[in-house]
Amino acid sequence: MSEVLPLQGVKVLTLEQVHALPWGTALLADLGAQVIRIESVAHLQDRRAGPFVDGKPGEEWWNEGGNLVYYGTRNKQSLCLEVTHPAGKEVFLKLVKNCDVVTDNFRPGTMRRLGFDHESLTQINPRIITLSSTAYGYTGPWRSAGSRARTVDAACGMSYLTGYEGGPSVRASNNYMDHSTGNNVAYALLLALYRRNKTGKGMRIDLTMQETGVSCIAPAILEAQHDIKRPRLGCGHLWKSPHNVYPCAGDDRWIAIAVANDTEWAAMQQVMGAPAWAQDARFDSVTGRWQNRHELDQQVAEWTATQDAKDLMRLLQAQGVCAGVALTAADLVDDSHLKQRGFLQEFNRFPAVGPRKFARRPFRMSEQPPGIRSVATMGEHNEVVLREVAGLSPEEIRALAEQSVIADRPKAGEQAP
Amino acid sequence: MDAILSEVKVLELAQAPSGAFCAKLLADQGADAIKVEPPGSGDSARQEPPFIGGAPHPDRGTAFLALNTNKRGITLDLAQAEGRALFLRLASDADVIIESFQPGHLARLGLGYEVLRGANPKAIVLSISYFGQNGPYAEYKGDDLIAQAMGGFLYAVTGRANQPPMGTALQQMELTAGRNGVIAVMAALLHRDQTGEGAHIDVSVMEAAISTPSMLIHPYSYTGRVPRRGSMDRNVMDGMHLPTRDGEVTLTTAGTGGRPMEVWSEFLGEPRLLDPKFATRLSRQEHWEELRDLVAPKLAEWENLDLMRETMARGLVIGLVQSPKQVADSPHLAERGFFVELPHAEAGTLKYPGPGFFFDGANPMQPTRGAPRLGEHNTEVYCDRLGLANEELERLRAARVV
Repeated sequence: MSEVLPLQGVKVLTLEQVHALPWGTALLADLGAQVIRIESVAHLQDRRAGPFVDGKPGEEWWNEGGNLVYYGTRNKQSLCLEVTHPAGKEVFLKLVKNCDVVTDNFRPGTMRRLGFDHESLTQINPRIITLSSTAYGYTGPWRSAGSRARTVDAACGMSYLTGYEGGPSVRASNNYMDHSTGNNVAYALLLALYRRNKTGKGMRIDLTMQETGVSCIAPAILEAQHDIKRPRLGCGHLWKSPHNVYPCAGDDRWIAIAVANDTEWAAMQQVMGAPAWAQDARFDSVTGRWQNRHELDQQVAEWTATQDAKDLMRLLQAQGVCAGVALTAADLVDDSHLKQRGFLQEFNRFPAVGPRKFARRPFRMSEQPPGIRSVATMGEHNEVVLREVAGLSPEEIRALAEQSVIADRPKAGEQAP
Repeated sequence: MDAILSEVKVLELAQAPSGAFCAKLLADQGADAIKVEPPGSGDSARQEPPFIGGAPHPDRGTAFLALNTNKRGITLDLAQAEGRALFLRLASDADVIIESFQPGHLARLGLGYEVLRGANPKAIVLSISYFGQNGPYAEYKGDDLIAQAMGGFLYAVTGRANQPPMGTALQQMELTAGRNGVIAVMAALLHRDQTGEGAHIDVSVMEAAISTPSMLIHPYSYTGRVPRRGSMDRNVMDGMHLPTRDGEVTLTTAGTGGRPMEVWSEFLGEPRLLDPKFATRLSRQEHWEELRDLVAPKLAEWENLDLMRETMARGLVIGLVQSPKQVADSPHLAERGFFVELPHAEAGTLKYPGPGFFFDGANPMQPTRGAPRLGEHNTEVYCDRLGLANEELERLRAARVV
């Protein structure tokens, strides 16, 4: 596959904050789209969010946070423009004329108040694709509700299904839904761009985090319609055993083992040295092992408890037993497999921050999966975007700066996070 | 609106849920997706419980039904030379080929990427595997739990601080890999339209898992602190699940204008929340049990939907911890038209989740068909698309190629 990035030439204007939408537009940026992130000196929470080196914001803290590199401004441009100012609004609409996609994650109603709703933008650019990424959507009784990713983990049914065996429901994740939603944003926009290439037509997209979440638990939705209750099983499985996480030597070290059939069970017994307890006839069949899984788990745990997790994984895998260490972030940055695949990327943009490691995107179409080519400092692309995309003259740009409609640093007196 | 991908032909070689989900996402947008299963038992996902109606049945498993909507299904034995020849004929005019075998499996059958590219230079081949196509773990076995473990998710994200690692339900890493795959496939389709080139895409479920919690790799690299599960265990106002009259809820301090205890005290009618010992996030964690004992009885007076309506009216942000049943019966989702009804000869008509986005106000999920029964579309595909005579198909059936 040649080096031309698939979305070269596509321009995306994005009014985005926090996580889900920035993740989605970062994927488009990875694929070569020109993603112009519009920021505001009045809303700096993403630039305050860190993480900072050793947890301490530096002198230029607004450009130093790691989330900005991982998804906030990754491969994007930053235009710090006050769109609520009449002159800023005018500039925004000039940009829309020359862009392909406009995305936002405001609550429903805000874009209309700003005069940036789909109908208004279509007047300026009939081929425009607009996408709003919200918690609950533009229609329905919950449309005005606010959210956090974990409240949507809850509302979509995911957290209800998550928990230790026999225990209460547990929040599934702080931001799994952000990522799933961001991935869905990218898919929806790619579909819209594909359709526009074929038909010339723009599109309005109403995308929600809750519904993305429900699409992640589809089997349980079918079961609910027949009153089938899905139990919480922790790391357990509906029919496989051993299928759990087991303690290993050292502090908080664990190995996950997943045995699916008699062949794998036989292989595992061999690795264990064919202990007498494993000869028990109750463990001879898939059903028997599952029915007696608590006892089986306890026996396996006693065996694993004294062993090195990584050595044991290699031993089990070599015999065809599905096993994997519960790796920590420290393990992962040092992992030989990931190194050989080039999955982690070291990126060094600011002397004050130094070289830091990042995961790449988990798909690769040529030699490398999409990596970080650049990150944008606050307002770094004000001039180039206003000149090339909005068609403003140097005098007009200077006037905007003098009126503080554009900026490239926080307001004087802004406290560090 | 016409289905966006109606001109795209997809072949899915059935193996892992990741590949099935990816092909489903394309099929739901109108792609002609053909699921290729081994004759006899078919996709092993057909054996996954539970089943609609209770008893095991290859066409009634909920996981199989959910991950295979809008596909056609054929059987084909790739272990036989005739089967492989037929597969290459199908591949020669496919746009997208999705496989999720262990790396090397297809090459050993003589159907590796180079062979597929020889049959169809413009093919976009998506290989999803647990650990990727190369590297020391490439031949390791995996499943969703193993991917959660090796991807750092298990250790860091879901479980409680004082308990073993625990992950999320329902194969989320498989689904994430499928979503990553579909993004890459769409990018490759756009790229192919510009250049005429096909592509080989390599997706690793382990890497999908790593990329999913954003608090893993780079926060460690910046701070030296290893992220560990249980960070929210004691957050009554921001994380804990608390019972209501007909379910559970999780609160947040968002929307309180920086005065969370004043606002929640007023809303719940519990003045003791104003005690200074609950004033800061840290002090609330310190006195979390006491705080929970004040908040929980007040929440227990509420019905879920009433609580949602009233908090929403005041700009407060909560999450109802909804059961799948509550989600399926949700008035909000019903009003939005999120679910799509699909008929099925064995499972009956069921409501399926849409994709999570509406195009020009309409749910774009195609309502064409439920998951295929094993070999349901053999005649359609082999006779109508490949032009085999009926007698030829009969012979292939007798030889168990089909």
